Amino acid sequence: MTRLRHAALAAALAGSLVAAGCGSGFDDNGSTTTQQSAGPADLKIMIASSGDAETKAVQDAAAQWASSSGSKATVTPAQDIVQQLGQALAGSTPPDVFYVDAARFADYASVGALEPYAQGMEGVDSFLPNLRQSFTFEDKLYCVPKDTSTLALQINTDLWKKAGLTDADIPTSWEQLRATAQKIKAKNITPLAIGDTRDRIGAFLVQAGGYWVSPDGKQATGDTAQNVEALTYVQGLLKEGLAKYPKALDAGWAGEAFGKGKVAMTIEGNWIKGALTADFPNIKYTVKELPAGPKGKGTLSFTQCWGIAAKSKFKQQAVAFVQAMTSAEQQLSFSKAFGVMPSRQDAQATYQQQNPDDAAFVAGAQYAQGPVNAPKMDSVLADLDSGLQGLQTGDPKAVLQRFDKNAKTALGG
Amino acid sequence: MIRTLTSRFLGYAILIFFALVFLYPFVIQIANAFKTEANAAANPLSPIPDPFTSASIERIFEGTGFPTWLGNSVLVTVVVTIGRVAFGSMAGYALSRLQFRGRRALFAGLLALMAVPPVVLLIPKFLVLNQLGMYNSYSGLIVPLLADATGVFVMKQFFDSVPVSVEEAARIDGAGVFRTFRSVVLPMAKPALITLTILSFTGSWNEFPHTLVSVQDPSLFTLPRGLADLVSGSLGAGTQYPLKLGAALLATIPVAIIFVIFQRYFVRDAAAGSDKG
Amino acid sequence: MPRGIRGNERPAGWLFVAPALIILGLFMLLPILMALWVSLTRWNGQGSPFTGDVPFAGLQNYTRLFTDEGLARQDFMTSIRNNAYYVLLVVPIQTVLALALALVVNNRLLKGKGFFRTAFYFPSVTSSVAISVVFLFMFANGGAINAILSVFGINGPQWFSDPRGLIHLAFGDQAPALLADHSLLGLSWWDWLAGPSVAMCAIITLVIWTTSGTFMVMFLAALQNVPVQLEEAGLIDGASAWQRLRHIILPQLRPTTFLVVTLGLIGTWQVFDQIYVMSQGNPAKTTLTPAFLSYRTAFRDFDYGSGAAISFVLFLIIVVLTLVQRRLTRERD
Repeated sequence: MTRLRHAALAAALAGSLVAAGCGSGFDDNGSTTTQQSAGPADLKIMIASSGDAETKAVQDAAAQWASSSGSKATVTPAQDIVQQLGQALAGSTPPDVFYVDAARFADYASVGALEPYAQGMEGVDSFLPNLRQSFTFEDKLYCVPKDTSTLALQINTDLWKKAGLTDADIPTSWEQLRATAQKIKAKNITPLAIGDTRDRIGAFLVQAGGYWVSPDGKQATGDTAQNVEALTYVQGLLKEGLAKYPKALDAGWAGEAFGKGKVAMTIEGNWIKGALTADFPNIKYTVKELPAGPKGKGTLSFTQCWGIAAKSKFKQQAVAFVQAMTSAEQQLSFSKAFGVMPSRQDAQATYQQQNPDDAAFVAGAQYAQGPVNAPKMDSVLADLDSGLQGLQTGDPKAVLQRFDKNAKTALGG
Repeated sequence: MIRTLTSRFLGYAILIFFALVFLYPFVIQIANAFKTEANAAANPLSPIPDPFTSASIERIFEGTGFPTWLGNSVLVTVVVTIGRVAFGSMAGYALSRLQFRGRRALFAGLLALMAVPPVVLLIPKFLVLNQLGMYNSYSGLIVPLLADATGVFVMKQFFDSVPVSVEEAARIDGAGVFRTFRSVVLPMAKPALITLTILSFTGSWNEFPHTLVSVQDPSLFTLPRGLADLVSGSLGAGTQYPLKLGAALLATIPVAIIFVIFQRYFVRDAAAGSDKG
Repeated sequence: MPRGIRGNERPAGWLFVAPALIILGLFMLLPILMALWVSLTRWNGQGSPFTGDVPFAGLQNYTRLFTDEGLARQDFMTSIRNNAYYVLLVVPIQTVLALALALVVNNRLLKGKGFFRTAFYFPSVTSSVAISVVFLFMFANGGAINAILSVFGINGPQWFSDPRGLIHLAFGDQAPALLADHSLLGLSWWDWLAGPSVAMCAIITLVIWTTSGTFMVMFLAALQNVPVQLEEAGLIDGASAWQRLRHIILPQLRPTTFLVVTLGLIGTWQVFDQIYVMSQGNPAKTTLTPAFLSYRTAFRDFDYGSGAAISFVLFLIIVVLTLVQRRLTRERD
C-alpha cells in the first residue's frame, strides 16, 4: 500500500518536473536555430497606433501586401506596446514585425530581440541619416524608420480670435509666448496644454541650449544652467495658469484638450492632424513653429522603426513586408492617412508639396533633437517624467539633479 | 418614547445616507452610459441622460473587442466554475472523510497555500506558463484557475460539520467510495456546492491579474482585461466616458443578477469568512 | 473506524485530491520556486531563465532594494511609503465604518434590514476593474465628486494629477531644512512624511467603499451572537447607549474586530487592480505600490529578477501579517 502512495506522489511530482524540464515555451537555443522558411508566411504585426486612422491605414496596406504576395498578415494595435511586447518576447511568441520606438530601441537591440535586417537591406541609404542613427546599436543598423514627426505649436484659430488676437500675436519667442498667454488667460481661456513628459517639455530645454544627455548620448547633462532656465520657465507658465497638463484639463493627452476646444494652444507632433480629423473634425487650427528660446529655435523629433523579431520564423517575408511598408509611395499614403512625415529622403519633396500646412513640422525637422537612445534608461526616464509631473510645485534643479544621479548609474558613467 | 423616535429617525437617516453613498455610483454609471460625451462631462451627477442615446452601447459592440471579451469571459467562467466545484468538493471530501496517510500534511499545505497572496504570483505564474508552453492560450487562461485552495477549504469545513452516519449507512449497503460520493454525499452537500459555485463564478468572472500575465493576444482577453485596456489606452482613444462606463456596466450585470438571486448565500459566505482564521 | 466498512481508502483519497493537488502544485507551488530562482538572476526576458546563460546575481536584486543607493531603492521605498499610508487610512476607516453600519442595520427598531444590508454589500461583489472605471469618472476633474464639492463651495482638487501629499499640503510646500537634509533608505524625511497624495486618496475612497460591506456582514453575524440577556441587563442598569456599546457590545465583538483588522491589513498590502486601472503609479509615483512596482519592473523594464525580488519582499510582509493573525486567533480560542 505504501508503494501505491509513493507511486502516486512520484507520478504527481514527476509530472510537474517533466513538464517543467521539457517545457516547449522557451526557445532554449536562442535565435540561432529559428527556422527560415520561404514561400507564403503568416505574419503577425503589432503596432502602437496613434488612433483609428493609423490602425486602418496599416491594416489596409498589410492586406494589400498580403494579397499580392500570397501571405497572411495580421495587424494588431497594441494598447500598451511596451508591456505587450515585453511579455511576448519573454514568452518566445513575439509578433514577426512590430513598431520599435527610438527611445526603447536600445533596450531591445541590447538583449538580442531584434534582427539586424536593415544592415544589408536594399535601398537603405534613402532613409534620413539622423533617423538611421537612432536605430543603430553598436555600429549596426537594426531596422528602418517607418516615419518621423516633430513637435510644433498648434493654435485654435477661433479661440485666438475670441481672445482678440491676430497673426501678429503668434509667439516666436518665450517672452511673446508668455505675453500672449496672459492675454488669452485674461479672456478666461486656458492658453496652453502641454504634455507632462520629457517628450514635450524637453523641447524647451533644446530652445535654451541644453538637453537631458550629451550629443553622443553617453552622458547625463541634466543639471546645467540652460536646463534649469528652461524648466523654471515652464514652471512659471504652470504656476500662473498659463499652461496646464492634460490631466488637469480632464484629457488623456494634450491633443484631446485642444480638440475639445479647452485650450487655445498646444504643443504636439504631426500625429495630432490625424487625431483631430478623426475625433474633432470641426476644430479650426493652424500649425506654427515652436517659439524660440534664449538659444534659438528648438524642437524634438520622434521616430519608430519596423522591427523584426530575431525569433521570427518568416524573416524573409517580414523584410519584404517592411520594404513594401516603407516604399516612398506607401509612406506618402500613410502621411495622408495619419499625418506623419516620410522617413525617406526621396519622399520629402513630394510630401512638402502635398502638405503646405505642415511647413512648421518640416522646418522643425531641420533643427530637431532626437530622443535619448541608450539601453536601461527607461526607468530613469520614467522617473524623470514623474519629476516633471510634479514640476508645478517642485524644484527644477532638484528634478534635474535627480535625473543626473539616476542616469549616471544607468549609463555606467 | 421620544428617545426611541429620534433614535429611529436618526437610524433611518444614517441608513439612507449610506445607501445613497453605496448605490449612487451605480446610478451614475448607468445614467452616464446613455449620455452623450458632452452631456456626461457637463452633468456627471445627473441621473437622467439628456439627450438619451445608446450610441455608446452600440459602439461597444461594434467598435471594440467587447463581443470577443464577453465570449471569452463566459467560456472561462463556465469551465473554471465547473472545475472548482468538482475538484474542490472532491478534495474537500477526501481531506475531511477519507482515511489515508498524508492527509494531514496535505491539509497543512493547503492552509499554507491559502496564505499566498495572489498578487505576488504575477511573475511566478507568467514564468510557469511560459515554461509549460501555455502562455497566450486558452489553456493558460483557464487551467491555472481550475482549483483554488479556498474552495477546497470551504468544502472540507462543510463536510467536517456534517455527521458521518448517512454515508456510513450507504457504505454498509456495499456502495463504494465513488458511488457514495456521487449519490449520497453530493446531494447532501447542495448548500455548500451552491456557495462554492457562487464564489467560483464571481471569482472567475472578475479575475483580472491572472489574465494580465497569462495572455497578451487581444482575441484572448476577458472582460476585465479588455476593460482595463480600454481605459489605459490613452492616445487617440480620448476619454470617452460613456463608452467606458457602458462597457463596465455590461461587465457588472451578470454578477449583479447572480447576486440578487442568491443573495443569502453571498451574505453567508462573508459571514463564513469570520470562521476562517 | 472499522476497516471492514470503510475498506481501503488510500487510492480513492489520493485520486480525489489529485486534480486539485496537481493544479495547485503546478500553478502555485512550482511557480513560487521558479520565481525564487529568477529573483537570484539577472534574467532579461530573453530565452529561458533556467539555462546556464542567465547571469547569476545572488542576493543583489534584494540588496538593491535596501542597501544600495539608487533608483531601485528609491522606487521601492516610495512604494512602501505609499502603501503604508494607504494601509494606515484604509484599515481603520473601513473597520469603523463597517462596525457602525452593522450596529445601525442591526438595530431592532428599524425595518428594511435586508435591503440596506444588500445595498452596502453589493459593491464588494462587483469587478474591481469595472468599479475602478466608475470611480475614475467620478473623480475626474469635472466629475461627480467635484460637482458635489462645488455645491458646498469647495473647489475640488485635480484628483489624478495632483501629486502633493496631504501632510505636505497641510504644512506648506517648502521642506524645513531639518527634514529635507536627513534621509532614510534613499528618501528624505520630508518625503517619508508626505502623506498620501490627493490621487491616492481617491483610490483609498474607492477601496473603503468596496470592502466596508463585506466587513459589515461579518460584524452583523457576530452581533447576532451577542446574547440578548447581556444587552437587556445593560438596559436595566440604566446604562446609556454609549455605555452599552463600550462595555457590553464591543468586548463581545473583539474577536471579529480583530479578524477584520488583520484581514484588512493583509488585503491592503496587495492593492493592484485599482492602481493598474486608475493611475499606473502616477502622478509622480505617489500611487506606486510594491505589487504594481514588481509588475512594472518585470514586464515593462524587462528586469524580471528585481521584479521577482520585490514580490518576495511583499510576500514576506504579508506572510508575517498572516502568521500574526493566525497565532492571535488561536490564542483567542
